[in-house]
Amino acid sequence: MSPSRNSGLHIKELSVTYKDGQLALGRVNLSVPEHSIYTILGPSGSGKSTLLRTIAGLIKEYQGEILFDGISVHTQEPLIGLVPQSYGLLPWKTVHANINMAMKISHPYRNQRQSQEQQIQHWLAAMGIADLAKRYPLSLSGGQQQRVAIARAFALEPTIMLLDEPFSALDAVTRETIQRLFLENWIAHPATTLFVTHDVEEAILLGEKIIVMPSNKENHQVLIDNDHVFRIKHEDKRDSDDFFQQTKRIRKVIQEQW
Amino acid sequence: MNNKKSHHVLRLLLVFVSMNVIWYIAYVLINHSILPSPLAVYSSMGHLEGKKVWLDVCYSLFRIFAGVLLALTIGMSIGLLMGRSRIWNKLLDPVVYLTYPIPKIALLPVVMLFFGLGETSKILMIMLIVLFQVIISVRDGVKAIPDSTYDVLTSIGASALQKFWHVTLPGALSVILSTIRISLGTAISILFFTEIYGTEHGMGFFIMDAWLRMDYTEMYAGIMLFSLVGFVLFLLVDYLDYRFMKWRN
Repeated sequence: MSPSRNSGLHIKELSVTYKDGQLALGRVNLSVPEHSIYTILGPSGSGKSTLLRTIAGLIKEYQGEILFDGISVHTQEPLIGLVPQSYGLLPWKTVHANINMAMKISHPYRNQRQSQEQQIQHWLAAMGIADLAKRYPLSLSGGQQQRVAIARAFALEPTIMLLDEPFSALDAVTRETIQRLFLENWIAHPATTLFVTHDVEEAILLGEKIIVMPSNKENHQVLIDNDHVFRIKHEDKRDSDDFFQQTKRIRKVIQEQW
Repeated sequence: MNNKKSHHVLRLLLVFVSMNVIWYIAYVLINHSILPSPLAVYSSMGHLEGKKVWLDVCYSLFRIFAGVLLALTIGMSIGLLMGRSRIWNKLLDPVVYLTYPIPKIALLPVVMLFFGLGETSKILMIMLIVLFQVIISVRDGVKAIPDSTYDVLTSIGASALQKFWHVTLPGALSVILSTIRISLGTAISILFFTEIYGTEHGMGFFIMDAWLRMDYTEMYAGIMLFSLVGFVLFLLVDYLDYRFMKWRN
């Protein structure tokens, strides 16, 4: 069955203004087809996080429309899997309890304790942190906490997945490992995903399309097709000529836009 | 971990023995009936009338628990409300600001006039003194929880009650436990004052009664027993801290 024109996430003329009248997010127009992953690149203050927070329902006052499958997200409230920059884990709950709580809240009518437990174990194993289930977040490294946050987001089986610079605080080696883990799992369970980053390479590695946010909020964002790079096997991606050419191309766009 | 615990217990024991040594030296130096020797006091503790003392301890504990529980229930509700809602904070902050500096112990005659000499006035006095500490520290504890802590729950549609249960309450629990610890000390001090009048039971009464009878050994035994009750209550708060704040270690 081919997806209808309305399927997926559609953002129309979205803008957010602070109480003091300052523009936090310019007019954003964006369509993300269902089960696609788009990366958002932008300088600090371009409104990347504001865009994600508005879609996630954390910012209530905005102009424009946010639709999922043609219906406003505030009417149907699709399930959101949010991975904030600061991981968003509750320090007083164990790794297991953090995921379990989020699943119980997001699926209140699901009454299959055993399947929920299996789901948690599956995602902990998928992110390579099965042995950390009983640990508290403060006893984990940044990379481990990030894996938990991603495991939680996947375990929710979200309709929309929103990731706000999730790997920015990690060292290069940990970042590469988690990028690979994230992508492998996303391919197996593709939610409609927006991934905010300020790293050009990360944007090319993880996005089917790349949205470049302008530094001037009055300007329109630029949409760059990245499908040909996205389809390359992850291990070969960084060394491919396509990756190199795409990096050059995006750097040029950035120079013009930022 | 066990090594750390045994070191802690050892340090406590060392302090306890040192205090008793100082006490004994003071006893030898003063050489007067107003300060009996520690051995005489401990021996007197062993000869106290078990049932009566137990009743006194139970009365005191009941008053402390009732007063602190009442203060915690009311104080936490107001503190949480002020911490989470800007409007309520604006509304109640001047009330707390104006009433906090009033020396509550000076209200003792007023409370006695309104509620008589019975249990109510004793419990109310403890409640009144502890209440403001609870309100202020819970409010500040709740305010200290970063807004971003609520983000993931908000994004998955958690209700206000779920956010309170999973974030606000556990987030403020550390402050609440510290407040209980401080409040218990205050409550025990106040209890002594309130048990001087209108009762024939309670540790305060026991000590004052022994003092009036000039039975100083029993008076000190009462003070030691009172201290022991306070120590056990502190241990209880330590246990709660250990049980609910594991994540901090």
